[in-house]
Amino acid sequence: MRGKRNVWRAILVAAIFLAAPLRCLAAESSGHESLSEIRNEIHQLEADRARDLQLMERLEKRVDQLESENAQLKAANAQIKSDATEATQQVKTLQAQVESGPNPKAMASAVSSYLGTHSFTVTGSAGVGFIYDQQSSGYTGFPNQTQNDFFLDWEPMVLYRPNDWMMFEGVMSAAFGQSGTGVDLSTALFYLFPFDKLTLAGGLFDQPFGDWYEDQSPMWVNRFVTAPLPYGVEPVVPPAEMGLQARGGLQWGDLGQDFDYTIWGGQGPSYSENVLGAVSTSPTAAANKQTNGKSMGARFRVYPFPLDANLGRLELGASTYNGKWLSGNWLTSWGLDFAYLNGNLQARGEFLRSYRQMPNGLPQDNREGWYVQAGYFLSDLKLPGAPDQVNQYLSRLEPLIRYSGVNQHFVAIDDVKGATGIGLGGVQVGFIPDFGLNGSPALFAPHSREVALGLDYWIAPSIVWQNEFDIELPHAGGTFVKADGTTVGVGATPNDHAFLSQFTIGF
Amino acid sequence: MKRLVVTLILATVMSGLCSVAACAEQMTQAERRKLFQTGAKLWPVYCAQCHNARPGSEFAPYQWDQIIMHMRGLSNMPAEDARAIVEYLKGGRE
Repeated sequence: MRGKRNVWRAILVAAIFLAAPLRCLAAESSGHESLSEIRNEIHQLEADRARDLQLMERLEKRVDQLESENAQLKAANAQIKSDATEATQQVKTLQAQVESGPNPKAMASAVSSYLGTHSFTVTGSAGVGFIYDQQSSGYTGFPNQTQNDFFLDWEPMVLYRPNDWMMFEGVMSAAFGQSGTGVDLSTALFYLFPFDKLTLAGGLFDQPFGDWYEDQSPMWVNRFVTAPLPYGVEPVVPPAEMGLQARGGLQWGDLGQDFDYTIWGGQGPSYSENVLGAVSTSPTAAANKQTNGKSMGARFRVYPFPLDANLGRLELGASTYNGKWLSGNWLTSWGLDFAYLNGNLQARGEFLRSYRQMPNGLPQDNREGWYVQAGYFLSDLKLPGAPDQVNQYLSRLEPLIRYSGVNQHFVAIDDVKGATGIGLGGVQVGFIPDFGLNGSPALFAPHSREVALGLDYWIAPSIVWQNEFDIELPHAGGTFVKADGTTVGVGATPNDHAFLSQFTIGF
Repeated sequence: MKRLVVTLILATVMSGLCSVAACAEQMTQAERRKLFQTGAKLWPVYCAQCHNARPGSEFAPYQWDQIIMHMRGLSNMPAEDARAIVEYLKGGRE
């Protein structure tokens, strides 16, 4: 049994050995085919790989290109962002500039260069008002007068400045009232400024005697509607002169301690008629009048308080004016004045005196006049319990008081003619407002006294509504001398009251 | 001799004119500031001596140049003070 099993085992081994080569032969023939396929595949793969490599190269190039483009885009984007930021900033700056408005300095420079070096400016003043005056009785030989008139005055001043050391100024006056109209040339003056302490002026000018004619005569500057008596209806010295001036000022101590001088010479004192007559109140008439002599005048002012001492500003002045008014007949005059300013208080006063020799053995025409006035701004006034608006109105008020007088020892008929103003039936209407209107009927009164009460309402520093109540105090009239030399006793002068209201603008 | 005197006077006046003009041109910023401060002190007092002081905004700078010449001619204020006031009036507009 055992032997049989071994036989079968040997047969199986033999079969296996026989079968193996057969299998190898078959495998060899099929391997040849596979190898070829594999080679083909390998070729195919190599071709594919080459294509892939090319593709990859192209793609790599494209990527590089895209990266480059991206970088460029990023740079461009950054630039755009920067530009946008800058533009936004510029817009903001421009917006801020537009909102804050034009630069005044640049604007001023542009306007100045546009206008050129020769420049004109028109300033001046204008006023409209009403006067009511009722005389209680007439003077000897004259009926009593009544005024109930509106009036208008316009005084433009032209300034022409070709450079910083030369200027021309001219003032025209045009006045309109119920009794007439008038136009006049108030001043026409050339200025030269050769040195700091010297100014030269030539032409037709307000008399630099005292402070009134030169400084206080513009309507919006004068706190009252009228002029004080010695500068108004009964002038002590002529109001205008045609000639030359030398003037200047210097600081002699601390800031505010100044001294100034004015010296002038001119045509001579002018009167309305070349016979017995009053001071000519028309500057044009002054320019045209032949007086047979020239005049000389001088005025000096000193300011004693330094600004930092807080004592206010005090001005002390002295004036003189002398000349032959008719042939060998002299007019001599002098005056003293003061002005004081301290906070809301302002006060001023003058005393002036003149002596005029008369022809034909007539008594000398001696005159003296004065005024003192004060005003106080109520800008700090606050009424307790009053509404704000009421206090605001009150703070714009300035109450005023003035006392003025003239002693006149000789009155000529053309005192009346020469001194007439709007509403008084005069013909020389235009010039009167140069130095103030006056409703005073004391025109004929050689010894007149007047108390003026005023209340100004200031709308702006140069716009004011002025109200004035004049009270004439009766005194003896003295002697009235007619143009033919005959004298008439005037007798007692009537007392009366006048009310004036004026709205005026300084422009 | 007379001609010499006239020539000397004219030469003096002309040199004065030149110095005034040059003075205005040559001011430095610091000098202008100092003038402005002085003008601010003088303006309310010097102007109010005769009339209410008017603010710088009322007129253009070139007009103030003319108006201050007019006021200098009337008030005889020292030239340095006039320069300070006009500097304040012009500068106060800004």
